[in-house]
Amino acid sequence: MEFGTVRKILGNILKIEAALMAVPLTVSLLWREASAMAFTWSIIITAAAGIALGVGRVEIKEIKIREALLIVTLAWILVSVFAALPYVFSGTIPDLTEAFFEAVSGLTTTGATVINDVEILPRGLLFWRSLTSWLGGMGILLLMLTVLPSLGVVGLQIYKAELPGPTADKLVPRLADTVKILYLVYGGMTLLQTILLLFGGLSLYDSLLFAFATVSTGGFAPYNTSLARFSANSYVIIIMSVWMILSGVNFGLYYDLWRGRWRNAVQNSELRFYLALTGISIVVVMWNLWPRVSGSLFESFKHALVQVSSIITTTGYSSADYNQWPDFSRSVLFILMFTGACAGSTTGAIKLIRVIIAGKLIKREVAHLLHSRAMVPITVNGYVVPEETTRSVCAFLFLYFALFAAGTAVLSLEGIGMVGAASAVAAALGNVGPGFGAVGPAHTYSQFSPWATVLLTVLMILGRLELFTMIAIISPKYWKQ
Amino acid sequence: MRILIAGAGKLGYKLAEAFSNQENSITVMDSNEQALQRVNANLDVLAIKGNAVQIDLLQRANLRNTDLVAAVTSSDEVNIVVCLIAKKLGCKRTAARVRNPEYAKQLDFLKTELGVDYIVNPELETARYIAKYLLKGTVVFIESFADGRVGMLDLGVKNIPELVGKKLRDVNIFDSILVAAVAREGEMIIPHGETRLNDGDTVYLFGRRENLQRFVADYFPSAPRDRRVAKSAMILGGGRSGYYLANRLRQNGVAVKIVEKDEAQCQYLVENLQDVLVIHGDATDSDLLREENFAQMDALVTLTGGDEENLLLALLGQQQGIPLVVAKVSRPNFIPIIEQLGVGRAVNPVLISAGEIIRFAQGGKVASLSLLLDGQAEVIEIIADEEAAVIGRRLAALDLPKGIIVGAIARNNEVIIPDGNAVIQPQDRVIVFCLHKDVPVLGQLFYRRKEGFFRGIWHSQKDSGKYPQD
Repeated sequence: MEFGTVRKILGNILKIEAALMAVPLTVSLLWREASAMAFTWSIIITAAAGIALGVGRVEIKEIKIREALLIVTLAWILVSVFAALPYVFSGTIPDLTEAFFEAVSGLTTTGATVINDVEILPRGLLFWRSLTSWLGGMGILLLMLTVLPSLGVVGLQIYKAELPGPTADKLVPRLADTVKILYLVYGGMTLLQTILLLFGGLSLYDSLLFAFATVSTGGFAPYNTSLARFSANSYVIIIMSVWMILSGVNFGLYYDLWRGRWRNAVQNSELRFYLALTGISIVVVMWNLWPRVSGSLFESFKHALVQVSSIITTTGYSSADYNQWPDFSRSVLFILMFTGACAGSTTGAIKLIRVIIAGKLIKREVAHLLHSRAMVPITVNGYVVPEETTRSVCAFLFLYFALFAAGTAVLSLEGIGMVGAASAVAAALGNVGPGFGAVGPAHTYSQFSPWATVLLTVLMILGRLELFTMIAIISPKYWKQ
Repeated sequence: MRILIAGAGKLGYKLAEAFSNQENSITVMDSNEQALQRVNANLDVLAIKGNAVQIDLLQRANLRNTDLVAAVTSSDEVNIVVCLIAKKLGCKRTAARVRNPEYAKQLDFLKTELGVDYIVNPELETARYIAKYLLKGTVVFIESFADGRVGMLDLGVKNIPELVGKKLRDVNIFDSILVAAVAREGEMIIPHGETRLNDGDTVYLFGRRENLQRFVADYFPSAPRDRRVAKSAMILGGGRSGYYLANRLRQNGVAVKIVEKDEAQCQYLVENLQDVLVIHGDATDSDLLREENFAQMDALVTLTGGDEENLLLALLGQQQGIPLVVAKVSRPNFIPIIEQLGVGRAVNPVLISAGEIIRFAQGGKVASLSLLLDGQAEVIEIIADEEAAVIGRRLAALDLPKGIIVGAIARNNEVIIPDGNAVIQPQDRVIVFCLHKDVPVLGQLFYRRKEGFFRGIWHSQKDSGKYPQD
């Protein structure tokens, strides 16, 4: 184990984080807020920790998958710990576990909050909260790869561990270039949405914050009522929904579009499945809501559009308290909490490519029942899926549901009802944010006891890193030489 | 540089590994899933599954913007066709591995008519390398640079007992000879004054050729003072490299015996080689070897298809007291062990061919290039360009990374073993020792300017849509 290299890389990440905290500090200073002190201290402490970790002459050595797994896990924990400092120092969230929860919720793009009234928060702090989502959306380590492109294969392992999806394909030969392209797409989408929201009458500050939380599919809103505040402004509602849906698409496909390979993008089976699933869900929810919940068909459509796109992309915005909706709509939304959107996007949960592969595996089993010696390949987009991938998909699905079941059982001890417990675990594991029942959009996560808060925090990181990275670290096998 | 490598076998992998750094973007193509997975797991390159002669795949790889296509699949014909298509699709330069001796006779036609700019024949290169060793070498082989004025010598420390356990600073036998690197347990170390030499180490020495020769003569009294030229040689394994080597040795008046298992191959050798004794038999048969006066040979070269067999036979030869022993070892992961086994010399066709292709890719400024210790380091002879960043500045002021050592500078008729005050002038032949990780820095200093943050992406964009996609 090359601990020196691990230490050095972690130190670099913290230095980058300290530099990024200068952005909310600037916001604080612009509004002359007292939170500026909180950021100043956070920057000093984070930078000091970063420098301390990087102390001494350590040559960055070629590392293996073992070190990469450790780097990714530790980086996410460390960055979250230091991201929680501004909440603590400003007195917004004095409780340490809750501050850590809020930081993790931001970085993992979950969007669950322990703050009961966000509207009284200093602007600098709200900005930091949304910025953490944006940073975590594409990956904090990937950001580092664009700044320090010299990591070579180290970077590749990190890319594999941090980019969502069962396989991590590069867009261009060099990893650093691939990551730059992804960040360009990401930044471009954020910028475009900010501009479009400005046209919708939002202030620059609000536009930026909503764009951060939408493109990263985080779901933090600077208002207690989330998107319900804009229910009269159909333009904003539709821009938000469209951008949520766009953020659920594999970012590599945007690169294909840019290069003129539009057929590659249009014929992508995961994209088609994603759009079909979103469309059908919107229609059935709309049909279920109208006319019982809202009077006009257009109102129902808007609610269905926002809520379906918010849950399937694991963003977690709400335009109404969907907890009050009919059971059928709630069931549809509950299912979407598990599917997630496309691999290679900023969304959480299982990802549709895994659902597609699992579906084809079932089809193959049926074919084997009928023709016991038939060779049936699993193909996606015309390419045969390697057996290792299908195997890892099966294991992932089982582990995901096992964690969901175990988590639900444990969280039920909190006495928030089974629906509340189950949806809280699903929302944390899938990085969605709000759930149903006691954790519905009208509630926050401040009601939990410290141990339950920690459990949900761990589930969020597990879900963001797609389970195996962290599971590998805590397995005894990992530490045996 | 943008490079496409067709074929992810031993040579393809080694090439991708040697090329992969911040300056190059590399695509590797192969139809074998497992080979690709190995590439994907270890190298920062793009791996595409598919046969490289598929035109649609090549089109998608944007050949018009590709600087080099290296076709190194197992088939000569595929390699030639790949180069042909690549040239037609607008690739700047192509290199192919062509090993069949019949094709080797029509290289000119391939080059002028079929668009293959460079042809590397691993067996021929290997044979050339071995012949050079057998015909010119002393017991200790000095690799030469700058038309033979500068030499590099790799020396097992255990051969000179007075070196073992000493710090480099206290060693005074390397008079005007530079110790560039130490290979220890399969890893290349850049030594400093405090580095202590172990008996398992190999040191890489640079110096004027005559100095190195004097050094060898002083410290290897057992070796004859004059150059030992092999008068007789036995080649075990009569495959392609055996054929080339026998031909070369025969032309230089060496009595050659080839032992080959396959009868048809023996027939081929007899028909195509004059004055060479071809013996049909198993090289592992000790009775046969004894019958053929194995132990009395000047030189033994093991060129069978199996690395293990080659190594064991070479060890046997060594034990029998054959002065010059060479073994062919293709698998790179054996190299660290060979160092310790003490086989006279192991040659690796993959490394030799990879070095040749890299030299070709670097263009006219690189006069020679050899890969050391499984490609962990390179020794390059560069003709200094007027525009290069190194020109006119003291070496100490260049802030070279530890892994780059300027071993020698050959200027007109003098050879300089440089210290920090040396200045490189245009047209100097500079012999540089460079660890693989520092190759990009070497490139920046000697022949290229640095790429900006966005330039790399922009380069990959600007060709979009030149061909109808998919």
